[in-house]
Amino acid sequence: MIPAGPQIKLLAPVLSNRMITPGSYILSFQAAEIAGTARPGQFVMVRCGTGSERVLRRPLGIHRVNFTGPAKGEVSLLYSVVGSGTRWLSELKAGEYIDILGPLGNGFSLGPANRRLLLVAGGIGFSPLNFLAAEAVKKSIKVTLLLGAGTARDLYPEELLPQDIEPVMVTEDGSAGKKGLVTDYLKLFLPGVDQVCACGPLGMYRAIEARRKLLKETPVQVSLETRLGCGIGACFGCTVKTRTGLKRVCRDGPVFDIDEILWSEVKI
Amino acid sequence: MPDFVLDTDLPPSHLKLMVQLAPGHPTGLNLSNPVIAASGTFGYGDEYSEITDIQRLGAIVCKGTTLNPRQGNPQPRLVETASGLLNSIGLENIGVDRLVREKAPVWAEWKVPVIVNIAGESLKEYKDLAAKLRGVKGIAALELNISCPNIKAGGIEFGRRPDLTARVTAAVKARNELPLIVKLSPNVSDIVPIARAAAREGADALCLVNTLKGMAIDIPGKKKLPAFGSGGLSGPAIKPVALYMVYAVAEAVDKPIVGCGGIESVQDVLEFMAAGARAVEIGTASFTNPSTMINIIKDLTDYLSRSGINDINQLVGTAHRW
Ligand SMILES: Cc1cc2nc3c(=O)[nH]c(=O)nc-3n(C[C@H](O)[C@H](O)[C@H](O)COP(=O)(O)OP(=O)(O)OC[C@H]3O[C@@H](n4cnc5c(N)ncnc54)[C@H](O)[C@@H]3O)c2cc1C
Ligand SMILES: Cc1cc2nc3c(=O)[nH]c(=O)nc-3n(C[C@H](O)[C@H](O)[C@H](O)COP(=O)(O)O)c2cc1C
Ligand code: FES
Repeated sequence: MIPAGPQIKLLAPVLSNRMITPGSYILSFQAAEIAGTARPGQFVMVRCGTGSERVLRRPLGIHRVNFTGPAKGEVSLLYSVVGSGTRWLSELKAGEYIDILGPLGNGFSLGPANRRLLLVAGGIGFSPLNFLAAEAVKKSIKVTLLLGAGTARDLYPEELLPQDIEPVMVTEDGSAGKKGLVTDYLKLFLPGVDQVCACGPLGMYRAIEARRKLLKETPVQVSLETRLGCGIGACFGCTVKTRTGLKRVCRDGPVFDIDEILWSEVKI
Repeated sequence: MPDFVLDTDLPPSHLKLMVQLAPGHPTGLNLSNPVIAASGTFGYGDEYSEITDIQRLGAIVCKGTTLNPRQGNPQPRLVETASGLLNSIGLENIGVDRLVREKAPVWAEWKVPVIVNIAGESLKEYKDLAAKLRGVKGIAALELNISCPNIKAGGIEFGRRPDLTARVTAAVKARNELPLIVKLSPNVSDIVPIARAAAREGADALCLVNTLKGMAIDIPGKKKLPAFGSGGLSGPAIKPVALYMVYAVAEAVDKPIVGCGGIESVQDVLEFMAAGARAVEIGTASFTNPSTMINIIKDLTDYLSRSGINDINQLVGTAHRW
């Protein structure tokens, strides 16, 4: 695992916050400190509110970092509105400030030997994989992305995907791209792949796990989700039992080797 | 715009923020200021060191420590509720032996005093814990947790019956020379007799309160939350309960009180001090904002300067005269 970079808390100016599919948003803020040190798979803890109502920050993966724009050091988050915190976040406007703690956790690791990467994204789980894809391309690793959604209008817009990757769109109802679940296409795109990285709902991980034989020796890294309290390893709210002992999702993860996970222990 | 506090914000020398939590004890348990990190919300102290200047805190209480390491409860362990948090960590911790071996030597190098929170399932476990922590360098005091709602056996029973509170307090006191804070549970019909029992058997200070037992129910998911079936409620939701208990105990017992429960601002600290607390512990508010405690220390200094009060101890118990 790559050691975590320095963690900071800051108020960052929001550059934009716009809906990209029904109920999903990309929020960008300026934070050169985070953009400069963050690694794919790391996350930030976002304060969603200003009063006492919501006491916990919400963890969101780092979706993109950008040094080239006018804002020098822009960080983007991709999130779905699923409850009161993310709803509050969706109402933040450019020019307002977002209260951020991060970057946190251990991200995905790509070794010097990696040549071909298969990314498996279920819905909003694409969030950290976008950052990973961009970094992999920089390292001249070939990237195939299996990108799934329920239906065409929920699919992440193709024009926002990083350049130079091979995207494969999959919808459950077949209204765009291939029909079915991303995991139905693992076998098809596996040949030549030396690393699989996945992020999505628990059901997707279980489906990958069920196809473990098919994946043979190919290592699979997954980003786990539990409810977080502190986000920095101090409260033991996020601990899961794994084959290699107790692990804190926020500090030892959120990215783990799939073979480490005891799936019966992971619940949200 | 990082919002940490610069070292130039140290209090002017004529202002006294120091508080003493064990006046009858040789060490006195003197804290540079009354702001303490609450057990279970601040790990073993070092986790927060990158984000906030932990050495400036009044003290740090480490995660509840048991005789043997504990794996804790199943997931989910945390549920947010209105202005509150339900937790059922189940006392996951590294156990006393590793704490003595790995953590205490680190703490011994720190400026900030570290207090070890101890929890047991039987009188014998408490006795063994106290004995193992005897004479260990790097520990400033013990906090006796007789109030954890998240373990199946023992624990909280010691905080519900005055006779058991008395026995466990006396037993720990007899086996360990460190100042002793007894942390009480709010899950009782009358907290005063329990506070009296702890004070009588030699507690140097009392901390109140631990979390209130509660639960949430997920209707669409058809499940009880946290997964343990119940949890301990913390955060602003419990502040009025904690404040009242501090007030009631301050009226009845002549021991320093550490107030705890829902504190997130200097205003809250002033209220707890007025109710009779000499110091405060802050838990959940560090999750909301890891700078909370450092900000409060700065705000307390500002408050004293503004109101022309030189010694923070003058704020203790004022509400009893109103
Ligand atoms: C390391 C990590 C990275 C994440 N990255 C992203 C991301 O990039 N984009 C994104 O959209 N989401 C991400 N999530 C999930 C996100 O944190 C939750 O969706 C969010 O906290 C919900 O907040 P809320 O206040 O809107 O909903 P709440 O009102 O808190 O909850 C609404 C519903 O969501 C469920 N829920 C609550 N907390 C979580 C949680 N931690 N995970 C999953 N479900 C939860 C509850 O059961 C409830 O039914 C991530 C989670 C983790 C642990
Ligand atoms: C996640 C979590 C873990 C806790 N673990 C402990 C513990 O191990 N021992 C203990 O005495 N209190 C524990 N507590 C209780 C706190 O120390 C404190 O008494 C309580 O949370 C009320 O304060 P607050 O509202 O400021 O959080 C825990 C609280 C939380 C939220
Ligand atoms: S969320 Fe607190 S330890 Fe992971």
